[in-house]
Amino acid sequence: MKPIDRREFLKSSLLGGTAISISDPRLLAAQTAAVSAPIASSSETPGIIDTNVNLFDWPFRALKYRDTKALAAKLRNHGIVEAWAGSFGALFAKDMGGVNGRLADECLEHGQGFLIPFGSVNLAWPDWEEDVRRCHEVHKMPGIRIYPGYQPFDLDHPGMERLVKMISERGLVLQVVFGMEDPRVHHPIIRVGSVTLSPLLKASRNTPNAKIQLLHFSGAIRGGDLSSFTEQTNIVMELSRLEGNGAIGRMIGSIEGLPSARVPVERILFGSHAPFFPVETAILKLVESPLNAEQLQAIMQGNARRLLSRV
Amino acid sequence: MNPREFFINPADYGLPTRDELVAYRIWDNHFHGFAARNPIEQYERNNFFVERMGIERSIAQEVGGTLEKPFDPYPYDAEILKILERDKDRLSGRTPIDPGYPDESCAKIEKWIRNGPCIGIKYLGSAINGVRCDHPNNDPIMRLAAELGVHAYVHTWLKVGGTPRLPGGDNGESESTPMDLAKLAQRFPEVPLICGHSGGDWELGVRAVRPHKNIFLEFAGSDPHSGMVEYAIRELGADRLVWGGHGPSRSYATELGKVLDADISTGDRMKILGGNLRRITAPFFRKKGMRIEI
Repeated sequence: MKPIDRREFLKSSLLGGTAISISDPRLLAAQTAAVSAPIASSSETPGIIDTNVNLFDWPFRALKYRDTKALAAKLRNHGIVEAWAGSFGALFAKDMGGVNGRLADECLEHGQGFLIPFGSVNLAWPDWEEDVRRCHEVHKMPGIRIYPGYQPFDLDHPGMERLVKMISERGLVLQVVFGMEDPRVHHPIIRVGSVTLSPLLKASRNTPNAKIQLLHFSGAIRGGDLSSFTEQTNIVMELSRLEGNGAIGRMIGSIEGLPSARVPVERILFGSHAPFFPVETAILKLVESPLNAEQLQAIMQGNARRLLSRV
Repeated sequence: MNPREFFINPADYGLPTRDELVAYRIWDNHFHGFAARNPIEQYERNNFFVERMGIERSIAQEVGGTLEKPFDPYPYDAEILKILERDKDRLSGRTPIDPGYPDESCAKIEKWIRNGPCIGIKYLGSAINGVRCDHPNNDPIMRLAAELGVHAYVHTWLKVGGTPRLPGGDNGESESTPMDLAKLAQRFPEVPLICGHSGGDWELGVRAVRPHKNIFLEFAGSDPHSGMVEYAIRELGADRLVWGGHGPSRSYATELGKVLDADISTGDRMKILGGNLRRITAPFFRKKGMRIEI
């Protein structure tokens, strides 16, 4: 075993971040992962920033960790030191303001400085721009998470370019969810639309400073889109949907004898998709793939901290 | 990198170390190591992950033909046979059959199981002639399985679709559902049957196979859902669950996460990760002169 050196890990995880400031002390305490202790954990091991969890009830099943307190405890038990949380409520709700307000309150109550709320906007609903403003100005959220397909629009929606510009101007992170569950086992009552990557790449090219992350994305990017993704955008992705033995290693090209990287390691963040997926699955992917200390630190938190560095 | 070289200690993250995974004695019920354009290269390459994740034995799903062409001679058969002999302490195989062709299927079972190295039957998921596992064509296959004392693995799914839109409504014509398997199990209660993929939709798959004690539910090749293993234990009991890796197309991490998510005893975890499969297959291994410690 060659454990990660914690001091080096800390040092490199703090490089390259830009800062935003939050004035309200309560919100600051609740929603800021302090740079002075970004990876504190109960032991001397480096912690993990989980960029993809959701709170509240999945509409079709009572999830094991649906209770926020239980979920936070579960994540902490597995070395998660910060979790970026969306709300299952955002999938179908029309009152997005209510969804986002409850999410902010829940993160404050159960995860001060641990659960970081990512509110949502639905481009298909009128005046979604006001929801962006409230997420940012009222709830002091550092980012927005959208669920195209479940929310009735694809990424070619006319509002998409505007949303990307808005999040860029406000210094927010935009998380785009590419799926929640295997469409083959959806409840028969729902029909979830497909999500097309190309328009997002275009929007990203047009607003190069926008911080965009793909959630639960399979990594299946075709020819032209792949080169556009890696060469013309700064879009990052998390690993919860990467599948196959050594999937992370294959993605970043760390497996001997296989083709070189499709996506550089700087673009991969940790994401568990908990509580829908077991958090164990995502952590085991870090164990399964042949990753060295630098690659691990980047994926476990360095890349996330670079995307969202806050003081 | 050496497969036993790690830069992260799983124990620090609430997960079993490699030594602890080895101690679980993991038997992979669902291994697609030979399903590739270059099956030998893929198999050898995947051994890195077998070693890394502490898998004790893998059951290859395609020995003697492929899932696409189960009755055609496969150019790699000879090499695969050599590997089965070389790696017999950690690799076994099932041979694929298609109940659309019962005579050919029985002939394959004779060749690859009675007189060959395989230890089980693999039902295809994508045959083309519309015969599922509950069709009468299956009866001679099951009678032969009973005579030999071998189990059958049946691919099952419940793909939502059709009109009206329902689970299973989008299955292929020959693609069995757990409900189809339940009908077969009722006719042949003496044959151990494995419900592949838990039917995909595990909540419904469990319900469908629940009354039939000779059906074992396999966790492999579907998304990992927190709580799925505990649900299955509650409805079926830990003695009826088997684990599969479905690699290399799925990851051991994905599949192991399903079982590690469950708050269950070490004993139950060991049953699911390998003990139950050893119990199902041990009598036939013995016939083949191989003693399996359950």
